[in-house]
Amino acid sequence: MALDQQTEMTQSEIDDVLSRHETGVLSLARSDDPYAIPISYGYDSEHRRFYMRLVSTPESEKREFLSSSPDCRLVVYEETEPVYQSVVAIGTLEQISTDELTADHIEQYGKAKRPLFEIWAEGKEELDVQLFKLDPESMSGRRIEIES
Amino acid sequence: MSGTETYQFSCPECGQSLTVDDSMRFALVDNGCVVCGAPLRGTEFAACS
Ligand SMILES: [Zn+2]
Repeated sequence: MALDQQTEMTQSEIDDVLSRHETGVLSLARSDDPYAIPISYGYDSEHRRFYMRLVSTPESEKREFLSSSPDCRLVVYEETEPVYQSVVAIGTLEQISTDELTADHIEQYGKAKRPLFEIWAEGKEELDVQLFKLDPESMSGRRIEIES
Repeated sequence: MSGTETYQFSCPECGQSLTVDDSMRFALVDNGCVVCGAPLRGTEFAACS
């Protein structure tokens, strides 16, 4: 197997990949500690923003990482042989408080898949769902075609 | 301007409550609970007087 070609994706190709998928891996950093979690998102291709619901329990590690608007990277990838595409969005995660919700937010969250697997794992009372928005400072996509 | 009703929304699944206007109420019925994603029937709203 040889790496045949690696190309930068255009913004509209990036939008296509992000709209077609609804899950990715979100990485957060706090001083020297990395933290990565699988998440589901809704993507607003018009404004190029991500909306996500993150579920955590009171003592969880995730809660600690989310407590201060953290820098993050979201990676979404797709493999449809022989093409491998990956998109990386970099920015700051912003929490949306329920007091500032608008009809537009509600529609954007409607595109995000329900965090069922997380809700079922523990008693619901223990869980806290927080709403976040990622308006990336930068976004890039790579396509690799593999010659077999 | 009159005509903007407000409602108290209460999600039967996650217990989230929100004060919403008409456009938010329609968006919730179409999209489900904004917090937990539970589908809504439109009966989860009480008009605020
Ligand atoms: Zn709910």
